[in-house]
Amino acid sequence: MIQVEGLTKYYGPHKAIDSLSFHADAGEIVGFLGPNGAGKTTTMRILTGYMPPSEGRATIAGFDVFEQSLEARGRIGYLPETVPLYKELTVWQYVDYMAALRGMGNPGRAERVDEVLDRVGMLDRADSLIDSLSKGMRQRVGLAQAIVHKPDVLILDEPTIGLDPRQVREVRELIREVGEHRTVLLSTHILSEVSQLCSRILIINNGQIVAEDSPATLSNRLQDTTRYFLHIGNATPKEVAKAIRGVAGVSEVYPTEEGVEIVADSQIDPRPAVTATIVQKSWDLLELRHVDMSLEDIFLQLTTDEAVAEEED
Amino acid sequence: MPNIGRSFHNLWTVFKHEFSVYFISPIIYWIGAGWLCLAGVFYSNSLGFYNQGTYEVSMSSLFSPMAFLTIFIAPALTMRLLAEEVHAGTHELLFTAPVRDWEVVVGKWLASWAVMSSFILVTFLHAGLLIWRGSPNIAVMITGYIGLWLVCGATLAIGVFASSLSQYQLVSFMISMGTLVLLWVAGAVSSLISNSLLSEAINQLTITNHYHNTMLNLGLVDPIDVAYFVGVMALFLFLATQILGTRRWRA
Repeated sequence: MIQVEGLTKYYGPHKAIDSLSFHADAGEIVGFLGPNGAGKTTTMRILTGYMPPSEGRATIAGFDVFEQSLEARGRIGYLPETVPLYKELTVWQYVDYMAALRGMGNPGRAERVDEVLDRVGMLDRADSLIDSLSKGMRQRVGLAQAIVHKPDVLILDEPTIGLDPRQVREVRELIREVGEHRTVLLSTHILSEVSQLCSRILIINNGQIVAEDSPATLSNRLQDTTRYFLHIGNATPKEVAKAIRGVAGVSEVYPTEEGVEIVADSQIDPRPAVTATIVQKSWDLLELRHVDMSLEDIFLQLTTDEAVAEEED
Repeated sequence: MPNIGRSFHNLWTVFKHEFSVYFISPIIYWIGAGWLCLAGVFYSNSLGFYNQGTYEVSMSSLFSPMAFLTIFIAPALTMRLLAEEVHAGTHELLFTAPVRDWEVVVGKWLASWAVMSSFILVTFLHAGLLIWRGSPNIAVMITGYIGLWLVCGATLAIGVFASSLSQYQLVSFMISMGTLVLLWVAGAVSSLISNSLLSEAINQLTITNHYHNTMLNLGLVDPIDVAYFVGVMALFLFLATQILGTRRWRA
């Protein structure tokens, strides 16, 4: 459905994306993961026909986004990072205008606007001015305009950014629903988001794809090193660190302000030996938990791996 | 959908949206009232002269200030059109919708022209009164209206172009007002130039030359004058479309 080959974009001398190639099939939710400035938004803007690539090509449902731009654009629903809204309009007027711009004619358009607003749970606010809506509601209205014309492809740029946890869950649920029958390309920098939603993840850094896999494979690959957080009541982190260093399965120990961070070796689970040590010292164990690898860690890992590989070359 | 039907649909969509947005803000009524009142003051003063019986009864003393005031009214009506889309970020959806740049430009321009035309409709009141109480030359009145309407279309096209140049409404306003002032005063400058070819060329660029000398005062519709106004509209709408195109490349 989305086919990207050798896509490159220069901003002046700066290469924002560098011969990117990937594809997304019908019914697939693909996560586009990367830090700020990695080239996610640039790629999405090229796919939506907002700007042309410097090199390479991209097609949507077989239509070149540049050569056959209107056909391609008609098949895309797009939610940019900052939801573009006409604040002086009501919710209903806005979605209706966007539907009309996407070529929907009037018999049926009004019903479709109602249907979509109902779907995103905004039908009761249909006559409210957009200016008066909360951020979560605006995001839902943004999603409504992206799906109102039943596009084959949905392109969502950071759809859950700036929302509170409940809203994040609602929006994710919505994306999962609307993604059942279409292709969704979703950018984010929240790892849990992609692992919950996406069937495939593309990790992009410095304009290049550094990893591409299913969430399960990717996280397995990244679980080579496991971290634990340890909190002891009646001992300082430094004392604890000193005692634990060298215990079976523990490869590194970092005292932090609240407790101790343990980097485990993947072969042996350090927890039994660590608890034994604590009991022996008769300390109060308040907390021992697994620390999820954050995207930041994954990035550090992926980018340092690459740097090492380059040096070896 | 065939191409023409699709373009018509897109133009109509953009037009309808922009036209209704104009009337959301109360400022539009101030602009309209200001335009009509100011021109109306000149007009009512001139009616005093008609009472003395030395002048022919006509509406040119209304049309003339109305046309001149487009220097301020047209920029005020058009400054928002494209600048605000960029400023608010809504252009990202507009230009990723299956709509051509020129359809957006022309749709917005037509909306502004329709708004100005609706203000002009109010002056039919004056026309009715004049016909009722006096005996004006109807032909001059009609060509005066046609000319004023063309002046509005042309000045609005310049305003739309200026709006494509900046994301700041004030900058757009200044650019279009400056351009319009030049187009009004160029005639005065041309009389100072000794080179007759250059002088005539500058004279041909001015709005007064194509409105006041024929349609406003003589009741004549010269195809050259119509071509001038249509040409200005086409040129500036074309330029605005091109500017939108470059925005894609500049990113």
